[in-house]
Amino acid sequence: MAAVQETIDQVALIDVDQYKYGFETTIEMDKAPKGLSEDIIRFISAKKNEPDWMLEWRLEAYQRWLTLEEPTWARVNYPKIDFNEIYFYAAPKSTPGPTSIDDVDPELLRVYEKLGIPLREQEILAGVKTPRIAVDAVFDSVSVVTTFKEELKKAGVIFMSISEAIREHPDLVKKYLGTVVPTTDNYYATLNSAVFTDGSFVFVPKGVRCPMELSTYFRINEKGTGQFERTLIIAEDSAYVSYLEGCTAPQRDENQLHAAVVELVALDDAEIKYSTVQNWYPGDKEGKGGIYNFVTKRGDCRGKNSKISWTQVETGSAITWKYPSCILRGDGSRGEFYSIAVSNGHQQIDSGTKMIHLGKNTSSRIVSKGIAAGVSQNTYRGQVSTHRKAENARNFTQCDSLLIGDKCGAHTVPYIEARNSSAQFEHEATTSKISEDQLFYCLQRGIPTEAAIALIVNGFVKEVIQELPMEFAVEAQKLIGISLEGSVG
Amino acid sequence: MNMQTAITMTAAETALIDAYTAQIGELPGEGAVLSARDTLLANLRQQGLPTRRVESWHYTDLRALLRAVPAFDPTAFAEKVDPLVPGSSVLSVLNGKADTKNLPAGINVRSYAESLIDGVAAADLIERDQDDAIGRINGSFVRDGFEIEVPEGTELEQPVEFQLVQSAGQSHSRFPVTFGANSKATIIERHLSVSDAASLVTVVSDLILDEGAEITWIILQQQGASDSHLAQVNFDLGTNAKLRLFVINAGGKLVRQEVHGVTTGEGADFKLRGINLLGAETHTDVTFTLGHDVPNTTSTEILRNVLFDRAKGVFQGQIRVAPDAQKTDAKMACNTLLLSDDADFSAKPELEIFADDVQCGHGATVIDINPTHLYYLRARGIPENKARAMLVNAFVDEIVEELEDEGLIETLETIIAAWLEKHA
Repeated sequence: MAAVQETIDQVALIDVDQYKYGFETTIEMDKAPKGLSEDIIRFISAKKNEPDWMLEWRLEAYQRWLTLEEPTWARVNYPKIDFNEIYFYAAPKSTPGPTSIDDVDPELLRVYEKLGIPLREQEILAGVKTPRIAVDAVFDSVSVVTTFKEELKKAGVIFMSISEAIREHPDLVKKYLGTVVPTTDNYYATLNSAVFTDGSFVFVPKGVRCPMELSTYFRINEKGTGQFERTLIIAEDSAYVSYLEGCTAPQRDENQLHAAVVELVALDDAEIKYSTVQNWYPGDKEGKGGIYNFVTKRGDCRGKNSKISWTQVETGSAITWKYPSCILRGDGSRGEFYSIAVSNGHQQIDSGTKMIHLGKNTSSRIVSKGIAAGVSQNTYRGQVSTHRKAENARNFTQCDSLLIGDKCGAHTVPYIEARNSSAQFEHEATTSKISEDQLFYCLQRGIPTEAAIALIVNGFVKEVIQELPMEFAVEAQKLIGISLEGSVG
Repeated sequence: MNMQTAITMTAAETALIDAYTAQIGELPGEGAVLSARDTLLANLRQQGLPTRRVESWHYTDLRALLRAVPAFDPTAFAEKVDPLVPGSSVLSVLNGKADTKNLPAGINVRSYAESLIDGVAAADLIERDQDDAIGRINGSFVRDGFEIEVPEGTELEQPVEFQLVQSAGQSHSRFPVTFGANSKATIIERHLSVSDAASLVTVVSDLILDEGAEITWIILQQQGASDSHLAQVNFDLGTNAKLRLFVINAGGKLVRQEVHGVTTGEGADFKLRGINLLGAETHTDVTFTLGHDVPNTTSTEILRNVLFDRAKGVFQGQIRVAPDAQKTDAKMACNTLLLSDDADFSAKPELEIFADDVQCGHGATVIDINPTHLYYLRARGIPENKARAMLVNAFVDEIVEELEDEGLIETLETIIAAWLEKHA
């Protein structure tokens, strides 16, 4: 009997339902009424004590959004989203805005503890082994706490929630907000502009190398809500910042919408490194539930010799629609995109990047690794283009897809547009399955099939993992293992 | 997608619709053929010409690019020229009218006009999908062409040359060709222009290769500097059938060559080799889709593009692997030499894969001439312009040399060299 039970346990383990962050926390919430209207936007703006110009900006975006149609070009299928069934604002009643750690509802702190996110600075400091990372924790619609603010301030770095920044640094926000992703950009970015509730704001002044990694942790908790966060990162001349982003959500059989906008601005010689480990709830094995992730991320290499690097590990969400891009405006600027997209179960991923070469001597590098298992669909969609005056633009693109199982699909849709004879573009893509020889080699040495696959897959994605900050790399590697469990046999 | 409801028609769209009304009395075919034509034209009228909002026309905005449509000119005169390979059987279409004198022996040939008149053609006059502007225009206006059947086991020693000679006006032709089991043949589809007057030429070739057929099909497009050329090749490869398709574009003002194929029998193999020589202020688009629908089929595609002046080039290539089409091996490469800052090239090589045990890949490059190579030649006393010409020639020559026929290779090399000399 024991053996039978063991088998049952084993089978239960090997399942798509492996999501370990799927718990739900009961916290009393303060919510706006369901649906979207000008009143809701006024409500959000008032809740955040925003200045008038911000409200006007939102209302203008809303009016524009009403005229737009949902884009249908991506290779993703989902029932039409009913925007009137979504709560656009939900904040924990006890902690309606960022406060000091002592004022944060202990229940909330327990959530982050459970997620393994350190919020108490002293705890972080006490732990010798854990590297120090400043965290901005966003819970549904609001940022609940931002750590290490004081220490960062000493270095001149501003790190706070965007709502605080709108109040405390309106000039900076006004100067940069919407300059990379204008309110008119696309359906979801426009929606975000109208209703965004929180997110992070980072400003690294001239010549400063940010003394620690910054990170934001997004958590969707409340039922029926959508999360619309907005992140704005500015690195002034010769500044450097590395920023990490993580996200999780409870396991539910409804689909929840997450539509974020991230804007990066790098001035002369500045460098921004943006890493994401996206682990929203992907839905169950029947494809029920999961997050719809419609995200607009764009970096503007505004200054000469600036650099923006995107690294993403996408393992969660029922639907991912995401194209972190670089506008290489400054002469000599450089853009990078490293991506691992893992889809299993009924997940659908349509992700990639855009490298827009505008300045002279700009270069970009794209390495994308897609892994499809189960009955998932995994699409790379990317664009590389040069402006007529962008002399000596250089691009290298590599996108590889790995298929595990015969029910999934992997697709590659690159757009390559060369408008200058000095451009040098190279693009290559491959699709294959795990090599029988490699698998046989592992099995022969007594490594079980699942472990062998995880090993081979880790080798396949190594190039990207190496680009992640160390503490994230370990998590990402584990995540890929989890995502692929149950994909064999 | 109801954007077509409120469009105002462009000059070209109006000209096409008017041309239909003017020509309908004399277009061959009645009954089912006529009603198929009417349907296609109604769709053209309703949808208009495709714009860049239609994904498969993203880089070729036909609505904006096709500025005018020359009127059908029944008095235009053109005559046969010597075949590319001496000894070929020539089937000529002169200004859109098939010449049925001296039809070759050994294969079954009749003019497509006959097929339109007896109604057999009605089944051909359909759209591939709702974005099929070429099928729509050609199907509405088609007047002639050749319907051919190469009997089972036939091995043609000499090539068959379809010679489409155009002097002015419009011509719309079709070539349904069935290659019987184990037949072997080389077909040359040659497009020529014998005057400076603008022409609109549309061609649709539908090829069916039965089991074990081995066919080489060469398209040599050398139309005039003001011509618009809209062409489509559709093919279906049966078990162990092999098709090698060479596409050489060295002419035309606005060119769209579509190639759409499916493999329906195991062991089928397809090769596409393309050379696009683009100069002046022209727009040339090669769009290719291939469905690997059954297991164990292979394909390779190699395109070499050379751009001078203000030329615009486009390559769209899509390889689809159906669920269960295991052991597919498909490779696609598109290499471009961009030799002018005013030229531009866009590529969209797509993979759409639903089976796991496959080997699929694509590569795309865009570069200028390698300065090291140039330096090597110049260090040996070769003047720069000559050295550049040599390198460009070598870049495209690789493709031509895959043909086995020495005579044909030489002829094509001469044509390419002459073109390069004129444009470089």
